[in-house]
Amino acid sequence: MEEAQKYVWEGAIPLQIHLHESEVTTLPTPPSALILAPRIGYLPLLVPQIKPHFSNALPPGSPDTVWFDYNGLPLKWYIPTGVLFDLLCAEPERPWNLTVHFRGYPSNILVPCEGEDSVKWSFINSLKEAAYIINGNCKNVMNMSQPDQVELWRSVLNGNLEAYVRISSKLRLGTVGDEYTDGGGQGQVKTGRVPVRLYVWSVSEDFDDLEDAPQIDSWDKISYINRPVEIHGEEGNYFTLQDAVKSILPEYFPNKSSTNEESSRDEDENEQTVPSEEGEKYLSENVESCYPTHNVEIKLVRIQGIEPKMEIPFSWVVKNLTNPEHYLHICVCLKVPQVL
Amino acid sequence: MQAESQSPSSVKKVVVHLRATGDAPILKQAKFKIPGTDKFAKVIDFLRRQLHRETLFVYVNSAFSPNPDELVIDLYNVSCRIFINFSYYIVFFIMAMDKCLLYWVI
Repeated sequence: MEEAQKYVWEGAIPLQIHLHESEVTTLPTPPSALILAPRIGYLPLLVPQIKPHFSNALPPGSPDTVWFDYNGLPLKWYIPTGVLFDLLCAEPERPWNLTVHFRGYPSNILVPCEGEDSVKWSFINSLKEAAYIINGNCKNVMNMSQPDQVELWRSVLNGNLEAYVRISSKLRLGTVGDEYTDGGGQGQVKTGRVPVRLYVWSVSEDFDDLEDAPQIDSWDKISYINRPVEIHGEEGNYFTLQDAVKSILPEYFPNKSSTNEESSRDEDENEQTVPSEEGEKYLSENVESCYPTHNVEIKLVRIQGIEPKMEIPFSWVVKNLTNPEHYLHICVCLKVPQVL
Repeated sequence: MQAESQSPSSVKKVVVHLRATGDAPILKQAKFKIPGTDKFAKVIDFLRRQLHRETLFVYVNSAFSPNPDELVIDLYNVSCRIFINFSYYIVFFIMAMDKCLLYWVI
């Protein structure tokens, strides 16, 4: 177990939760709730603790799905709480002031959520998607025994890293330089593909201080990108965090090394596969024409609340800062001089 | 497998093939074209409209169910093909589907 990973699992954000004024039916207004939210957790999982706090102040009638906002922006519940904080609080605010709503669910912005079950479903699916990226299939996750699945989820709920490591090692989802990949899984190819969820926030105006950073008031301002990073282990040079971020954003940083050999993932079908290079090349060509690629500057990269140096090996980042569903969540602020 | 050649137009489109699983009915329109920049939510909406169902379970490549905010192009790049299985109920063991491979680039 890595020490950094332990810190990630123990990481929590102090929240101060206010009841939205439209839902207050008592005088005086109920006091806000103070709660520690695990970084790797999800907001709906806090509802059982928050609800009793406000239950007396709520209007009668059956409540809707509980949701949260920060400065008016409804918070997407399937994004880990730590990532929401890193993304939306450029200058970290502690405690983080959120507003809770027990009605008026903004279903045009948020995916429906039915409490813990929805979160678990979303978690397992992310895990399967990550497995698909790493191994080319989800067999290991699908073949998990029911007790293991329950225990894996419980380990995330309770922040129990030891239990998590014990079970997740059976999934053999290690990537490059990982101790889980060797032995056992015959025919399993180490692909070096790392599942990454990137949240890109582009600003056109410069700012010196994070306090002056513009507020993110709409999800339209965030590009949510899910592209695997292929770790290229070239001799003499290790693959850095900077290489990784740039490789995911070819539209901004076009001079990437162009070849990723088409990794043959194990295919259940014998139909021909379309080479992905075609698609990638095409994509980067397209988008290049839409954005000025010069002068794009990475202003900020934040992972698990830290702003790592861009020169550190990406494999270290993956090994230590990945979330339990095997995705690495990276928040990036880009200064793009002018988006056309 | 039909692969259309890339058109000169600048918007990359992905063709998605739809495959009913379990008791969901087979759709008349078994494939459609969608800009890669669209979110997966569009695919789900399309299916909902076609089937007049609020609740659906939608899987990519018989494997996972992405979250609705993911871009279609990202799913395409992950899997090198997109085929969508949809069902009225959760499918626990989706067998590897053979006949229809679902997507190509225009």
